Amino acid sequence: MTSREDEYDYLFKVVLIGDSGVGKSNLLSRFTRNEFNLESKSTIGVEFATRSIQVEGKTVKAQIWDTAGQERYRAITSAYYRGAVGALLVYDIAKHLTYENAERWLKELKDHADNNIVIMLVGNKSDLRHLRAVPTDEAKAFAEKHGLSFLETSALDSSNVELAFHTILTAIYNIVSQRQMSGRSDSDFSPASNVVPITVEPTQNSANKGVCCQNN
Amino acid sequence: MSQLGQTQWEAVDVFLHRGDSISHVIFYSVQPVYGAQHPPLDPRLRRTFPKDTNPKFNNHKSKKASSFHEFARSTNDAWDIDDEDEEDFLPSGLHSTSTQIQVSLFKYHVSYPNNLIITIHFLIVKFFLVWPSSVRATLQKQHTLPVRPIIPLVARISDQNASGAPPMTVREKSRLDKFKQLLASSNTDLEELRKHSWSGIPREVRPITWRLLSGYLPANEERRELVLRRKREEYFGFIEQYYHSRTDDHYKDTYRQIHIDIPRTNPLIPLFQQPVVQEVFERILFIWAIRHPASGYVQGINDLVTPFFVVFLSEFVTEDVENFEVAALPLDTQRNIEADSFWCMSKLLDGIQDNYTFAQPGIQNKVKALEELVSRIDEDIHNHFKKYEVEYLQFAFRWMNNLLMRELPLRCTIRLWDTYQAEAEGFSHFHLYVCAAFLIEWRKEILSMVDFQGLLMLLQNLPTIHWGNEEVGLLLAEAYRLKYMFADAPSHYKR
Repeated sequence: MTSREDEYDYLFKVVLIGDSGVGKSNLLSRFTRNEFNLESKSTIGVEFATRSIQVEGKTVKAQIWDTAGQERYRAITSAYYRGAVGALLVYDIAKHLTYENAERWLKELKDHADNNIVIMLVGNKSDLRHLRAVPTDEAKAFAEKHGLSFLETSALDSSNVELAFHTILTAIYNIVSQRQMSGRSDSDFSPASNVVPITVEPTQNSANKGVCCQNN
Repeated sequence: MSQLGQTQWEAVDVFLHRGDSISHVIFYSVQPVYGAQHPPLDPRLRRTFPKDTNPKFNNHKSKKASSFHEFARSTNDAWDIDDEDEEDFLPSGLHSTSTQIQVSLFKYHVSYPNNLIITIHFLIVKFFLVWPSSVRATLQKQHTLPVRPIIPLVARISDQNASGAPPMTVREKSRLDKFKQLLASSNTDLEELRKHSWSGIPREVRPITWRLLSGYLPANEERRELVLRRKREEYFGFIEQYYHSRTDDHYKDTYRQIHIDIPRTNPLIPLFQQPVVQEVFERILFIWAIRHPASGYVQGINDLVTPFFVVFLSEFVTEDVENFEVAALPLDTQRNIEADSFWCMSKLLDGIQDNYTFAQPGIQNKVKALEELVSRIDEDIHNHFKKYEVEYLQFAFRWMNNLLMRELPLRCTIRLWDTYQAEAEGFSHFHLYVCAAFLIEWRKEILSMVDFQGLLMLLQNLPTIHWGNEEVGLLLAEAYRLKYMFADAPSHYKR
């Protein structure tokens, strides 16, 4: 009944953020349970799920926090950013406003999350081709400008969902393992600790960002 | 021990024993399938039984009684008294090594035409395959429902609203009479009404009782009609005056959020997927939001309309409310339900508005209070959370923001609100104690989880799908106990 038996080398906390109704909860359920629910309820506060994947022979456990999208909740949900090493900033490719608000969400992360949090911009609902309101190129340019990686996904038809999570988890893994190799590892990154806070100090070479901008 | 023969349900064996001269123990065994409710009755089938062929039953609980009807129909030709010892009621051949057994005792009174009344004691045994090891015979803790039909996710919005409900018990009848008497008085004694409502309001007087308890309807009978007419007109005046502004720049974000949330309100109940109903919800929420700019619309408030809407609708529906076609009602009736739902929801929200204003201070305070309370009344749970770094806000935020509506089936919320409306500050204060009681209800499961992930997953998906009036009643009793312990002695259990 408990997940005591599942062992992992790394545990990374990742938050899902973005406007209400863009499909955060379904991205989570698609990734962690391979489920999609057209009739899911709105998320209140946060919801939580985990899944482990293999990255370069290591078991990486993702602890994913799905947050409520409505503005009013931000004062409280920002508390959930604590300890997060990755963030999927989700918008709906069929609703331009949700894309415009990405800027506000970035600010939100800047104010409340760790400076070195790895961020990926995710354009969800790519199955709604006929309703597309956000051109892929535009979003890609935005991501590049802000040093984010970028993917379009569809929780409904599963496309790129695995890839999106794998990409961000690999990026986080690379940062962490680089730090360990350079001898700066400490107890924070030991596999046993509950959540690995990313405490990468602002690096001189900004190599971190290079890692997560590998897409497209 | 004699087996009286197979009933119409597979895997159900009925044993009858002699206790004293009129008491009998019927052992009712249930196939060991975790979470399944046996016998698998289709609620719709129940209605097809001709009532006059049933023996006359006086049942305490109409819902389980309807399944009891079937149970009785299948066995009443075989109710003979057998000579075995009563203690020997565990049928042989039952292996419980990997199952947990839960035993509950229930009594039913059966009247036969010749004025013979027999009290039957039921021992209901449930098997849980998944829950570990030890056999738990909780005879003293009667919180498991007996023969309960499989409850589809959406079934039974209200515990007592299905047609084919069996006759009331004498006690239920006298309770209903008492309500009717109070309601018929030219000046309803609200204090008395609260007192009686605390332990649940009979379905047929629930709509008017809720209107009175919420403060929407005046106690003075002569004024009621006038007030209702005036308030309903006032609401539709708001609609006329403001609803078109939902597309204005100033309000379009509010409306957009409401519009996104409405299809996601009770998404699995067909009633709430009807366009007519969704439009009602949109109007109610939009008008409320723009009239309360300090909070505006906050996700979760949409859920709070639901119980009122269902209860006021139930006045006009004899079958299952959840499948009722609202558009079939006269327009006036639809409008009255909408206006009444709006006003009663407004009254509720007046008491908890700080739950929804900026930074949601009401919720933050209540979550802190919950933590404080639990640390006093159940140190084990509190320390367990600390050990695994579980924070109360991570699970209890939703409990406060949606008044436990996300954690309980809708029928339970309706029953819960009978009490909340009977309590002074039910929604704003008593709810805290209900949350504490609710948490402690899962003590065993919580303490058996030994990691953060497991704990959080458990707390976000507590298995209440089968809950009904009995469970809510016990929850409320425990909450009441906690409240009075702390109200009378604030330092009680002080750490």
